Amino acid sequence: MSPVIPAPVPVPLPAPPWLLEFLLVFTFILHLLAMNFLLGGVIILSVSSFLGRRDSKHHEFTRRVSRAMPSVTAFTITLGVAPLLFLQLVYGQLFYTSSDLMAWYWLAVVFLVLLGYYGVYWYQMQHDELGSKAAWVILVTAILFIHVAFIFTQNMTAMLHPQDFYSLFVNGKVGTILGPITLLNIARFAHFMVAAVAAAGLGVALLSRRWQTESPELADWGRRYGVTWFMGGTLVQFLVGLWFLFSLPVEIRQALVGEKLAVGILLLAIILALLALLTAPKSLLTSSVAILGTVSLMAVLRHFVRSASLRPYFDPRLLPVQGQWVVFSIFVVLLLAGLATVGWMLYVFFRPAATRGASS
Amino acid sequence: MNYPVWEPYMLGGGMVIGIIAILHVFVSHFAVGGGLFLPLTERKAYRENNPALLEYVKSHSKFFVLVVLVFGAVSGVGIWWSIGLVNPEATATLIHVFVWGWAIEWVFFIVEIAAAFIYYYGWDRLAPQTHLMVGWIYFGSAWASLLVINGILTFMLTPGRWIETQTFASAYFNPGMLPSLVVRTAVCIALAGVYALITSSAVSDVALRTEVVRYAARWLLIGGLIIPFAGIWYISALPSMAREISMGAAPAVTIFAGLSIFLSALVVAFTYFGPYQRPRHFNLTFAFLLAVLALSTTGVTEWVREAVRKPYIIYDYMYANSLRLADIERVREEGVLKSARWVRQHDVDPNALERTGEEVFRVECASCHTVNGYNSMRFAVKGWSWVMIDYQLVHLNELKGFMPPFVGTEAERKALGAWLASLNPPPASIEIDPGPSAMKGQFPGATGEGASQQ
Repeated sequence: MSPVIPAPVPVPLPAPPWLLEFLLVFTFILHLLAMNFLLGGVIILSVSSFLGRRDSKHHEFTRRVSRAMPSVTAFTITLGVAPLLFLQLVYGQLFYTSSDLMAWYWLAVVFLVLLGYYGVYWYQMQHDELGSKAAWVILVTAILFIHVAFIFTQNMTAMLHPQDFYSLFVNGKVGTILGPITLLNIARFAHFMVAAVAAAGLGVALLSRRWQTESPELADWGRRYGVTWFMGGTLVQFLVGLWFLFSLPVEIRQALVGEKLAVGILLLAIILALLALLTAPKSLLTSSVAILGTVSLMAVLRHFVRSASLRPYFDPRLLPVQGQWVVFSIFVVLLLAGLATVGWMLYVFFRPAATRGASS
Repeated sequence: MNYPVWEPYMLGGGMVIGIIAILHVFVSHFAVGGGLFLPLTERKAYRENNPALLEYVKSHSKFFVLVVLVFGAVSGVGIWWSIGLVNPEATATLIHVFVWGWAIEWVFFIVEIAAAFIYYYGWDRLAPQTHLMVGWIYFGSAWASLLVINGILTFMLTPGRWIETQTFASAYFNPGMLPSLVVRTAVCIALAGVYALITSSAVSDVALRTEVVRYAARWLLIGGLIIPFAGIWYISALPSMAREISMGAAPAVTIFAGLSIFLSALVVAFTYFGPYQRPRHFNLTFAFLLAVLALSTTGVTEWVREAVRKPYIIYDYMYANSLRLADIERVREEGVLKSARWVRQHDVDPNALERTGEEVFRVECASCHTVNGYNSMRFAVKGWSWVMIDYQLVHLNELKGFMPPFVGTEAERKALGAWLASLNPPPASIEIDPGPSAMKGQFPGATGEGASQQ
């Protein structure tokens, strides 16, 4: 039986699919960077908080890292808006359907994120006042965000399988159908979780460098601690990544292997990850640039998997297009102006105190 | 009917959106108005060389960040989440028309959030003038995000020339856009006052508290004075049917519209005679009471704004049940069950009329109605005979101007009627005292049961 997929809206796409898909993947990479730091960060903070009950280094480390988390949370959410916008535009017929089937879970994301966000603030603002309870606050926060990640994995996987939609619909009640939790979903979820922890390890190592003047010993310890998380995570990822690759349906894996570009991207991503692993103890910067490459390439590869999974049922290139080029140009100009403004604000904020002319 | 219909139990989809949206509106307008309040008050403190006032602005900025950046941002995402679940067809349409508008709004969000953090963390790091500049950048980008989303919101009620041209410009610069922008900007200013009354009434220093309470009250009064004039302008831009609905054609909407005006006046009067005239006696309890009043005003007003758009979700283009006007004839001929994709049966089953009818209800009515909860069908048809129900369905949009017509085949309509009639026990016989001739029960059609047999 051919899958039931909603009809596209009778309004043309405002730009060709390649441009929309480029923006989808590009903004997703930005979201991924912040999201990794947040999700992996709260996990590392949870573990470190429990260790910090008896160890002052861990305690001081969590206190300092926690200061970064509110803004990381804000940017994870905001940077997530754009990819979801382009996803809804190009793949709405699939996305709205899979979301509606799991509507209660999908709506729960909003409340889980809200609670988690306040958890991050609570942990940061009352880090010392909370005492030994702080570890529990951040652990619960981490659990909330892990649930968000899980629901996202379920939905983003479900939308790739329109052939299952109708039978799920007939056999369940709309809104309560989370979809089957298959080995593929678990592998995908694990792949994302491990990636988040590894990337956040590198993130906190980079962050530690900023403590150099105030407390060089802690800065050095934090760097090594972060690198340990990164290296451990990346080593585990080689196994989990393989597991994920081999859990993909055979036809998808064959489609990937058949595409030279996809194979090239995968190999390059792995080489860069190895490079990041080898350089992490010596040069954080090299390692970070390499891992930025891996994350970006993996996001592109993820798009290949999406296209390959949907190819038999849905092809965005067949949708009608009527470019809205004037307003697109305004968007590009405003984006550049916006980034310049943010750049200026970051510059005045982070430049050395002597040149800032602060009031106190 | 293009998508699976999610029925959130007693609430109904509209209520799910409504609850999230009203809370978001109450906070997001503060995000803009408060963004103006912060740099203006900071500048005032510098000019008057008033360190106590500056301390107050600092503490207000913490409250601001916790309310706006967290609740404001996440509830905004929440609206998007809920409209996509409840009205995917309309959401997809809006995104196709306005994606670059939303992309532009996203740029402003990024600047807004970066500015908010740097403003909040920069009190002791930045020079006063630089800090102020960051405050202005925050306000500029926050107001610009309102500028963008406002045009998209008003498009739904007054799509104007877009129906013919289908261009972004005619969609965005729609008839309601400008008046609504002025109303919303005034609401932002008033809400900046409401929130500032909360933080200022918690100030311990009496002299400072008195000063700031009165100052905050002035914000609320200025916003409150602009709103009625801008509101009249906005109402004049509405389609005539929307105006009629709010002015008598639909009593519930009219009552709420009146309530909105009454509550707004109450907030202004309360502010004028309370914190403005007697700032010394104002306290946190009063501030919260005022905030609750203001939230109620927001809720009632947003409800009216949504209600007057009925029977459409995008005026003159798509009905509230996601049916495009352009598709009506086709669906009427094909039948709603054949047109809908997410049904368990595509044909009317004469042996299971009620089950078929429930399926028709789900795809055609459930976006606004629930069975037992909000806008309950069981309650709406209570005491109605099958004949009465069928008559209502045939003349739905004529009898109830805020409802779309029933679209479907005759058999589907009859099935829907059968299901609706089954929701309640058959209407009790109407006891008519026929007088001494004792012809009780002899009139065909005098009872509900009799009628249904006709």
